[in-house]
Amino acid sequence: MKKRKNKKKFYQVLEHKADLKIRVFGKTKEELFENAMVGMFEGAKYQKKPKVQSSQLKVKIKSIDLISLLVDFLSEILYLVETKKLVFEKVKFKKFTEKEIEAELIGRPLKRMGVHIKGVTYHDLNIHQEKDGTWQATILFDI
Amino acid sequence: MISKKDFKKISDWLWEIPKGFRADMRVPARVYLSEKMLEEAFRDRSIEQLINVSTLPGIQKYALAMPDMHEGYSSPIGGVAAIDTKEGIISPGMQGYDINCGVRILTSEWKENDLKPHLEKLAEEIYKEVPSGLGRGRQLKFSIPELDKILEGGVPYLVEQGYGEKEDIENCEAGGKLPWADASAVSNHAKNRGRDQVGTLGSGNHFLEIQKVAEIFNEEVAKVFGLFKDQVVIMIHCGSRGLGHQVCSDYLREFIPLMLNKYKIKVPDREFACVPFNSPEGKRALAASGAAANYAWANRQMITHFVRKAWKNVLGERGGKLNLLYDVAHNIIKIEKYNINGKEKEVAVHRKGATRAFPPGNFEIPEKYREVGQPVIIPGSMGTASYVLVGTKEGEEAFYSTCHGAGRTMSRHAAIRSLSGREIINQLERKGIIVKCYSLKGIAEEAPQAYKNVDEVVEVVHNAGLSKKVAKLIPLAVIKGE
Repeated sequence: MKKRKNKKKFYQVLEHKADLKIRVFGKTKEELFENAMVGMFEGAKYQKKPKVQSSQLKVKIKSIDLISLLVDFLSEILYLVETKKLVFEKVKFKKFTEKEIEAELIGRPLKRMGVHIKGVTYHDLNIHQEKDGTWQATILFDI
Repeated sequence: MISKKDFKKISDWLWEIPKGFRADMRVPARVYLSEKMLEEAFRDRSIEQLINVSTLPGIQKYALAMPDMHEGYSSPIGGVAAIDTKEGIISPGMQGYDINCGVRILTSEWKENDLKPHLEKLAEEIYKEVPSGLGRGRQLKFSIPELDKILEGGVPYLVEQGYGEKEDIENCEAGGKLPWADASAVSNHAKNRGRDQVGTLGSGNHFLEIQKVAEIFNEEVAKVFGLFKDQVVIMIHCGSRGLGHQVCSDYLREFIPLMLNKYKIKVPDREFACVPFNSPEGKRALAASGAAANYAWANRQMITHFVRKAWKNVLGERGGKLNLLYDVAHNIIKIEKYNINGKEKEVAVHRKGATRAFPPGNFEIPEKYREVGQPVIIPGSMGTASYVLVGTKEGEEAFYSTCHGAGRTMSRHAAIRSLSGREIINQLERKGIIVKCYSLKGIAEEAPQAYKNVDEVVEVVHNAGLSKKVAKLIPLAVIKGE
């Protein structure tokens, strides 16, 4: 179980034969999405160059539903990792609906990748709200 | 819950789940496994995933799985589905993100003992010459127009530009170029990722190995393939890198709403998202995936070029030639023709972690191999044995498909917990295998202990008649990219 500095759990790496499977948590959908991004990077051990100034990038995503929105959001982030050579740490959402995101991503230069994520899959992708109102998602990445 | 009693035994190496097992199955599901491997297959969801494959519209005869099968994210890895091009669908997820992940072997004129004094230097030189992935080592960057030529021209284009020999073209599956490739079907996102990754090895289970021929099983075929005992060969295993991954993501994203709203096709998992093969969207997806496949072949061709350079740098003129034996894809959609229920049908064979193995006499294999059959290359897990096999006519029952590697048994997570990268490298070095890698991260996950025994996997395809053993290769040096 991985913990953030504020000691609340935000993702777990689950067992899978060949790929990276994570369960992500969040108080809100926005937090879930941000935690999915950080969980993805930490699960695959994407390392940032420390002590380097962070950069910001804007993203706009439109999808057919919340599940596709999460996949499309993470896929776009993976595209930016490879083309801008950045690993992102935070997301500032300017717009967030079930089908649309406008956000600013904050990150630092990529140092190296532990394993290379080939794709964010839809396989068994489950986003739901628990009884206490918190959000959970299980995501499988092809690596 | 599926169990062994739901299977019908066809032979010691082939088991079948009848079509009636689940209401949405269109064809039976067949697995090529020994009895012991079948019992182990229930430990993950690979069998359930194979049953999902059998529901794809237009699938012909059987949903198949090879003995290296394990759980994937749509089809099991090791899955094969031949889908009628007239009435069936095309499924990018069934091909996978790493379009044309594949493997090739270069043969040398050297024997192991003669090369031994130069091995360390050679491994080091190859490690320096072959561009790494992101950001390290040599950086090659292409313009978009140049990249488009690679996407449509594949290996022939690179050879024309001086990055190989004429024989490299015919010794590659599909001549290293799928004719239906169209660069305009590939997104700018994909091209931006692919521009600086040509000729890079990548990480994970991708590698380059200097190997020796440890055992010859079939002297006649080995001779035709140019293999001899103790011969030094070089194996290159990698795929289409970020470009292929993006193409797959792009078309999955496009196909989901089309599948749901326009074509109203139901599939068990969104990752199987598909459209009719003959639709304009289906044709464009095939064209993009063909371009990505060409990119992967160009990638392996470029790496070959750098390997040949390193070979010459270290050994000079007495190094002699490194010839391409053959190059095979194991995540790919190919258009092939088969006699099905008395009629000749064109099918889109989706191979996901499976290798084509054409029989003797097939016109798609190089003339010099035609009498004996197509070479099949099976990379083992890191530091373990690899194999060269040959295609057979009996393989028609599996759409001329065979295994692709060893198949995983341990999750990456479990491998990291129980094994250490340093220990694995020490184990390999104790066996006399040189290891060159950028970092220890990723090594533990690729430990041989995390994979099925490749010898067992190859025994199954050999005994089932899908392809026959020609030679066993063992590593002398392992080089990993990033």
